[in-house]
Formats: sequence, structure tokens, C-alpha cells
Amino acid sequence: MGRAGIRIPLVLWSLAVLYPIIWMFIGSFKSNGEIYANPWGWPESLNMGNFVTAWTEYNIDTSVFNSLIVTVVGALLTLFLAIPTAYAIERLRFRGSQFLFTLYVSAMMIPMVLGWIPLFFLLARFNMLDNIYGLAIVYAVSQLPFTIFVLTSFMSTIPKSLEESAAMDGLSPYGVLLKIITPLSMSGIITVTIMNAIQFWNEYFMALIFLQTEENYTLALTIDFISSEAQYTNAWGTLFASLTIAIVPVIILYAIFQQRIAKGMTEGAIKG
Amino acid sequence: MVQSKKQKYLFLAFCLIPTFIMFSIFTLYPLFSGLYYSFFEWSGSSENKEFIGISNYIQLFNDEIIPMTILHDYFLVAAKVLGIMVLALFFAVALTQLKIKEAPFYRIVFFFPNIMSVVVIGILWTFIYNPSLGLVNSGLQFMGLEDWTRPWLGSEKWALPSLVLPSIWAGIGLFMLMLMGGIANVSKSYYEAAEIDGANEWQQFWKVTLPLVWPQIKISILYIVITTLNGSFIIVQIMTGGGPNNSTHVMGSYLYEQAFVQYNFGYGATIGVMILILSLVTVLILQFFMRRERVEY
Repeated sequence: MGRAGIRIPLVLWSLAVLYPIIWMFIGSFKSNGEIYANPWGWPESLNMGNFVTAWTEYNIDTSVFNSLIVTVVGALLTLFLAIPTAYAIERLRFRGSQFLFTLYVSAMMIPMVLGWIPLFFLLARFNMLDNIYGLAIVYAVSQLPFTIFVLTSFMSTIPKSLEESAAMDGLSPYGVLLKIITPLSMSGIITVTIMNAIQFWNEYFMALIFLQTEENYTLALTIDFISSEAQYTNAWGTLFASLTIAIVPVIILYAIFQQRIAKGMTEGAIKG
Repeated sequence: MVQSKKQKYLFLAFCLIPTFIMFSIFTLYPLFSGLYYSFFEWSGSSENKEFIGISNYIQLFNDEIIPMTILHDYFLVAAKVLGIMVLALFFAVALTQLKIKEAPFYRIVFFFPNIMSVVVIGILWTFIYNPSLGLVNSGLQFMGLEDWTRPWLGSEKWALPSLVLPSIWAGIGLFMLMLMGGIANVSKSYYEAAEIDGANEWQQFWKVTLPLVWPQIKISILYIVITTLNGSFIIVQIMTGGGPNNSTHVMGSYLYEQAFVQYNFGYGATIGVMILILSLVTVLILQFFMRRERVEY
């Protein structure tokens, strides 16, 4: 096979990936007239009007803020729960640790959509329906199995002698967890947290079910709302601007942590 | 050890109990009570919750839309497994075996859609399929293929196949990376030996690469099947909402409609049980058929 020939599909696929994203980005600077006149063309000027409309008329600022809260609270809560559990399962080896691990890990394979119906009523009973903190808790728990799975595999590489000598020096088990294990697992903790954060920032369906009023919408819901409005108002430029707002933080994260994200995702995927 | 047994158990409890409680409340309990709900007729308010035995299941078997949704789900599974595995394998081999300088660039670009929100992907592709403004139709016009243009997502015949492309577009990078990981672990000496035996690149691919990355291929297929059966309804919900005329409804989007639009929560739960059973059975069957002895090194 010729080396030049093999490049053709590679170039074509990168165009297929990049072009729609760049097109969306360019579209966010175009007026509706320009989009209709030539959907493929360049904007006449760097017009920020679409961003202003998205920001003010559709209250994207509130949604960005909600998404940030859900993402940060969700990611921190996941860690708070998962680190001690992963430590106990992987390093303390008590009776039933294998069972617990299997229980958590097999939850990754189960379709949760069945559980969302009772969860809806459960949240209503806890007064956490239509509440971004309620959503953050649900998110955090939904990523627990994956997080525990990734953290146990990171923790398994820490030498046992470290904990033993720390315990000899009189460090309590809480101290060992906090001062030895957590810092040494930091690379795994960061990786899994970035991935969870991306997950929470992007999530759509649970937000659709559990949130109801517009002021509680996350970014995903607001974009969906703008999109369904655009079918009637044809405000495509505004829609592109809101898509751009949603995707820029992810691009930045990806640019910084590209290697980690790719590695973590593939490790997490190998679970079936 | 300085610590007593009691302290040790206290510490274990500290580590395990909060997680277990949260997991039980927000994962285990909803799953089991979902099962329980499937025996009720229930529109959401507590007064009218009525035990109806297996009536929901009888309704499920007589519901004309259910077989359609199952068929649509498995259509998406088959199309995604085929599309993603062929392309991902091709890209993985191209980026590892052939010495291409810009390989890291392709790796980064191809993976990027994997971290994009499904909402962004869905809306972007809805616009790409837009009959008058979208890239697909204007591209076809540009190439002089006016006859091929159509309202992709508005056509009962084309809407479901149209959903395959965004799913492949968004999913390929992850599996490419997984397969690249597998290929990277294959020792160079096998290729050298194959070359000495006179095998060309094509034969090397079939005889060396493919058998040795079989574990990664198997896991990838399983993973695509699970995630599609458990989550294909999200892209459906965003791009078509199950329409036109139910032609894109999958099991999950039908559950959403029954439970959260029509307020038939009991029947929705019954559909959920069906999804659970079908996806577990599918995984078991797949695992049985993909058992293949590991290649001995």
C-alpha cells in the first residue's frame, strides 16, 4: 500500500471531524441573513451580536453558572466518596471487598434509564427535584462505579511498604489515607476528575428529566431549548453562538490535558 | 500494629459506608423499585397507583411500537459496531504501523469528538442535515447530485440511517485509541518473522495484527453494544425525538415518552425492565460467541 494513498482517508476524516466544528464556530459570528445567503461562507465582519443575544435573551449566563456548580460539586462529591472506598477495597482487603468491587463495577454495565423513573419521585420526596444540587448528587453517584474502578487500579501500584512504615511511625489509618495514599494517587485522581467534570458539563438526559424551571437549566438544556426555538425563529446564529459557548471550555480542557483524557478514557472503557 | 480491631473496623466503616449508602439510595433502590413500578398503573400522583399484576407486560407484548423500537436499537448497534470497528481498526493500523510523521495530529483530532457533549453533537448534525441550509444537501447540490438531496431527518425512510453517521463520527476516536494500545503491545519480532516468511502487509494484518488485537476488538464491540443499547436514545431525543411517525423511536426514547411525556410511569418502568433484560441477554450471548482462545505467544 502506498504511503501517499493511506493519507487520503486520514486527511478526509480529519476534515470530516474539524469542518463541522469550525463551521459552527464561524457561524456564530454570522448574521441570519449571511447564514441564509451562504451557509458555507465567511462572515462579513466579526459580529458578536449572536453571543450578546444568547447571553442576554436566553440567560446563558445563568445556565453556565448552573453547569459550573453541578460540575464542581458533582466532581468533588464523587472524589470524597470514591477515594476512601477505592482505598479500602484495593489496599485493606477485608472480607467482602471483592464482592463490593464487583457490585460497583457491574453497575457500569446496567442501563440506568429504568432507575430514572423512581429516582424522579425519590428526588421529589427529598425536595431535590428541579434543584441543581440534587442533580449534582445524582451525577456524582452515577460516576462512582467508574471512579472507583479507575482509582483502585491507580492505587494498586503504590508499594505496600510505604503504608506499613507510616503506620509504624504512629500515623493513624486516616492519616495514611490523607497524607500517603491520596497524594500518591494524585495523578489518577486528577485524570478521573477531569473526565467526570467533562461528563457532568456535557450531560443532557438526566438534566432534562430532573430539572424543570428555566432558571435551573444547565447549559445542555438551554442549548436544547434555543435549538428547538430556532426551528421557528430561525435564530441559527444565536444557536451557533450558544454551541460555541458550550464547547470552548471543553476545548481548553482538552488542549491542556489531551494525553491524560485519552489515557483515562481508554482505561475506563476497558471494563466490559 | 498499634491499632486495635475496633479502630480498624471503625476506619473501614468510615471508608465504605457513605459510598454504600449513596449508591444504595441513588442506584440500587431506583433499579429495584423500577422493577416494582412495572406492576402498577401509575400516572404519578400517589392516590392513583394501582397494582395491576403483569398487565403492563401483556400490554408490552401487544404494543406495536415495541418491536419497532427494538429493531431500531439493534439496527443502530449493528451499524455502529460495523462502522466504528472497520474505521477505527483502519485508522489504528494506519497510525501505528505506517510511519506517518503527523500521526499525533490525527490521533488528537480523531479523539476530540469523544469529549463533546451529545447535545452539541446532536444539534450540530441536525443542522448538517438541515434540508435547505445543511452541509449534506448543499454538498450534494455542489456535486451536481440534486436528485439525492432530501429532508434527511424528516423522512421516515432516511431518519434512522441518518443517526448512524453522527454516532460513528463521535465514537471512533475512543476505539481507535483502544486498538492502538493493543497494536502497540504486539512485539515487532512477529512482523519481522512474517516478513521473512514472505507475508505482504495485507497478510501481516490478517495473520498477525488481527489475532493479536482480538482482546481489544472484543472489548470494543461489547462496549459499543452496551453503550448503544443503554444510551442511543439520547441522540434520538435530541435529533428527532423519535419521529417522524415513530420511525426513529428506540427503546429508551419510547420509555421517556411513555413515562415523562404521557405520564404512564408504570408502563415506562416495564419498558425499562425490558431494556435491562435485553441488554443483559445480548451481552451474555455476545460473550459466548466471542469466546476465542487467546493467541499463544
